[in-house]
Amino acid sequence: MEEGEKNRNIRILHSGVFTPLRRWGTKWSLWPCHFVTSCCGVELAHAFACGFDGERLGTLNMGIARQANFIIVEGTITRKMAPALRIVWEQMPDPKFVNVIGACGQRGGIFWNSYNIVHPSDVVPVDFFIPGCPITPEGLLRGVRAVQEKIEGRDRTTIEFKHVDLPSVEKEEHRVPTTPKIFAPTPAIRVDVPREVDWDFGKEVVNNLKAQLGGLYNSIAITDKNRIAIKTTPENLMEVARKLSDSMGIDHVKNVNVIDVAHERKFIVEYMVSGYSKELMPVIITIFTEIGRETEAEAEPGFPSLTPLWESANYSEREMHDFFGVSFEGNKGMNEKFLLAPDTPEYPLRKDFKVEEELYVLEEGVPLAPTIKPPEELTMPVSEETLDEAEKNDEMVACIGPHHPGSGHLRWIMRLKGDVIVEVNPDPGYVHRSMEKLAENRLYIQNVPLFERANISDPINMNLGYVRAIENALGVEVPERAKYLRTIMAELSRIGAFFYDAGIFSLFTGHSTGFMYVWAIREMILEAIVRMTGSRCTPSFIIPGGIRRDISDDVLELTRNFTFAIDTRLRKFEDIFVTNPVFIARTKGVGVLTREDAIRCGIVGPFLRASGVEYDIRKAEPYEVYDQLDWEATTGDAGDCLGRFLGRLEEIKQSVGIVRQAVDAVKGMPRGNVISEEILGEYKEVSDDIRGYFFRVYGNLVLPKGEWTSITEASRGTLLYSIISDGESNVPYRVRVVTPCWMNLRGIIEASKGERVADFWTVYGSFGYFPPEADR
Amino acid sequence: MIDINSIISEMTTEGSQVIIPLIQQMLGLLPDIPMIKLMVSFILWKPIFAALICPGFSTLGILLLFFPWIERKLCARIQWRVGPREVVRWLGGIIQLLADTLKFIFQEVIIHKDAHKFYFLQFPLLTFIPALLPILFVNIASADAEYPLVAIQSPYAIQIMLALICLFPVFILGMGWASNSRYAFIGTVREAFMYFAYEVPFIIAVLAMIILFGTSGSVAITEWQSTWWRWGIICNPFAALAFFIGSAMATSRLPFEIPEADQEVAFGPFVEYSGIGFGLVYIVCYEKMYVLSALMTMLFLGGGNGPYIAPLGDLSGAVWFLLKTIIVMTTLAILRPIYPRYRLDQGLGMGWSAILFLALIALVLSIIMRSVGMVL
Repeated sequence: MEEGEKNRNIRILHSGVFTPLRRWGTKWSLWPCHFVTSCCGVELAHAFACGFDGERLGTLNMGIARQANFIIVEGTITRKMAPALRIVWEQMPDPKFVNVIGACGQRGGIFWNSYNIVHPSDVVPVDFFIPGCPITPEGLLRGVRAVQEKIEGRDRTTIEFKHVDLPSVEKEEHRVPTTPKIFAPTPAIRVDVPREVDWDFGKEVVNNLKAQLGGLYNSIAITDKNRIAIKTTPENLMEVARKLSDSMGIDHVKNVNVIDVAHERKFIVEYMVSGYSKELMPVIITIFTEIGRETEAEAEPGFPSLTPLWESANYSEREMHDFFGVSFEGNKGMNEKFLLAPDTPEYPLRKDFKVEEELYVLEEGVPLAPTIKPPEELTMPVSEETLDEAEKNDEMVACIGPHHPGSGHLRWIMRLKGDVIVEVNPDPGYVHRSMEKLAENRLYIQNVPLFERANISDPINMNLGYVRAIENALGVEVPERAKYLRTIMAELSRIGAFFYDAGIFSLFTGHSTGFMYVWAIREMILEAIVRMTGSRCTPSFIIPGGIRRDISDDVLELTRNFTFAIDTRLRKFEDIFVTNPVFIARTKGVGVLTREDAIRCGIVGPFLRASGVEYDIRKAEPYEVYDQLDWEATTGDAGDCLGRFLGRLEEIKQSVGIVRQAVDAVKGMPRGNVISEEILGEYKEVSDDIRGYFFRVYGNLVLPKGEWTSITEASRGTLLYSIISDGESNVPYRVRVVTPCWMNLRGIIEASKGERVADFWTVYGSFGYFPPEADR
Repeated sequence: MIDINSIISEMTTEGSQVIIPLIQQMLGLLPDIPMIKLMVSFILWKPIFAALICPGFSTLGILLLFFPWIERKLCARIQWRVGPREVVRWLGGIIQLLADTLKFIFQEVIIHKDAHKFYFLQFPLLTFIPALLPILFVNIASADAEYPLVAIQSPYAIQIMLALICLFPVFILGMGWASNSRYAFIGTVREAFMYFAYEVPFIIAVLAMIILFGTSGSVAITEWQSTWWRWGIICNPFAALAFFIGSAMATSRLPFEIPEADQEVAFGPFVEYSGIGFGLVYIVCYEKMYVLSALMTMLFLGGGNGPYIAPLGDLSGAVWFLLKTIIVMTTLAILRPIYPRYRLDQGLGMGWSAILFLALIALVLSIIMRSVGMVL
């Protein structure tokens, strides 16, 4: 940032002729180019939707840098996004203003020691910071008012403080929390710790596998119910995979994971695969091998890629290449960075790359947070290959994003032939906040709020998935009442996420009214979640063993009433948007993914169901109380944009039914006891409200040795958490998160091939893609 | 050599002055100073009055200042919102566009280095030529009035207006070309395609009305539609529908907001304009709407015909005319919150099939009505 940029805009406004007119005009016409960089964008949308209506203040969301004069930076700026922020700021005409909202934009917030973030104040001059994680819409609008007052000439330097004498309290010494982190120096990492479980089908499968694979495997073990681990060698991996694919019908990869065991100088590379046939649905087979970890030579350790066999492994392999420097031979994207920026540290997830440690006690002279240099290069190059190929075939290359009214926070590099899309190459990672690395340095319980931030439009399911992995490892049984309450919250969150998608979809087809209508409904859902948990988007309410505190009956009654209000408003939304002939003309038959294509690309959730695969984890491997309630999983056969959208509308109706049934069931139950006594140990008296005992109970949580994988049906599909524990440390050795949007990215690319340019946004909107969730 | 005296005598001949009984008393009180008298008579001289006051420059300015506010407020109400409100709270935010305009005027104008500077700057200004000139041919007097209230009387008024309106896209193409940006290119090509989509049915629809009326002079058309059952929309509703859809396409209203779809091509041809440059193109879109609505009022809604309001005198027709024009504009504006956006090929397809078909039906209907002499 150059000197003298600070308050330059105010100097411009206060110089020259017609100053009062100039100030008045600028004050009432602040057009924000909404710089949607991360999750705070959801709250920004709430601030400008019908609940709060930011347009009252004369602020019209513009989205195009040349015509806006006000940036609202929503949350985290990553290394990849920082050049975009600077470019957008420089494209805007003077006088221009910048507000930064959210904790991440100030000192990094919960991601403060991440390797991939930059402080926005180092990149552009900032007028106001608005704190909160995420901020509330009220806070955001207050920030707009603050800028207006600043334009008028009032500033915080002119605020007069009243001096009062407070009785001084004797200052206590800073106390270090009682649970320091314990890192085992040489942890023993195994991903195939065998476990005795009551699972007959599994034994049968294992016997089958042993017979079929012959000498190709080293060991096969049942690690948990529905989990099988096969150890093999890199040479045999492809052969094993082919056998599984041919004889068992394994058709997709759920996860590609690399574990760096630095002290044993090896990487463990694992593929989690499964099939969409009826009996294989809940089963996850882990194929893993060990390869040497080269530290001396320049070359990256090589490894055979399974992408030729299973296309769904493609992007995850490229991601792992970025993180660990494992080169998957056979994958075409190995020679460029995918998720990370050019100036991100090399191989950040290797164990010898250390992030900054947390300091509980501030010492004199030690800076508060790491000083991060903003990137110097302001270019965002497109790969030479793409440009060459486009030139050869007489095509036009158009980059959509990362700052574009309809791009979301990632860049789509489109190759166009006339009005037809030849290919779209994604360039994700603009919101990559390195959750997996940060999780390796925090206590198990501290990771609950961290993973929730992956997707604040669907926070409860994000939270639930992680907690279920821990409960599974500890073997904790959750009390019945807590299970019901979790189900209610998870379904509310799912409804909210689907409405979010519907709103974005209608905006992408140019229908702002549809957006406003569903945002009004979301406002009600958030109100219900606020009354239950106290937070709009990031409650962190579900904890291992139950929920934080019991929920009273009148709040549940209110939630039930809300579901009826949702019904009425949903009908109005259907009247104006869903049955709109223009909308149907735009979506019907567009972006079709057949059943085979959908499975091949590895897309998940309602989008897979829209292509005719009856895979819903709530049915396949029921958790919480989904098997005790009356509901149906929705599937469709069309596989086009309309089908994907209508399927989710139908799911909303099912979810509303689940909420009503669950509320009725909970009201008949005795109150209290919402946290499992097994996990509370000696603090049994707090089983209805954990407040005050939180770190005493959860601080020293240690998981048994092994790999603990949970799959959860989050709103947009299969959410997979895989925690690797060494059995000694109270921090996880490695946490792997595969979010549904990350898997769906491949589907967007596939579905938009050969469609018209305008249809790209229809396809994109129909997939409910939420970039912070995909990039993690 | 201009003969001042002959002009003055022409100005003061009977029927060439706008007579408004409401302010006639006031004008009578003016001292008999030649200069003031002359200026007042000059302004009230009908051609000048039509060009400068109504329906010309002043009316247009006031309308442009308030219509975006009406549109935003209307959208907001449909979307369960409030809309612009806080700017002057007791006025309900009605001067929102004044604030926007002031901001645009005082904002930096960026000409990026890849732009063709000369054309980039002049095209937003040049667009005002086809936007302003058609107003000169609009007759706002009612059929009862003895003398028309129009700036230029011409037997070919409708054709000239049509020609000027069809010039519009040329300037937008120029803007997109001068911007030299990829979104602008895509948007420009889309604009060109949409131009092809609406132009033919639009012209045929107008042609149908000219055949029906048997004239294309703006005064004669108003006289033809003297009673409400002879209004164009009742005689030939197909032409009215084709014309209306054509205007929605021409003004890039949703569902045909294809060239400047902001989620897709980020305002297409206008993506690089900032400050007053964008202010001008923002305004010119509304101007285009005004011109097309005025033409629709003239052709289909009986122009200035309506019950005579005695105190307003000659302005009585103007009030009815403006009221009808604003209704048409509002209808065009209300399409925005109701419809999503068509795809380019769908827009083109509609233009060349359904709307062209409608226009042809209208043409045939007009020919039949004309030859049978049903309403004549």
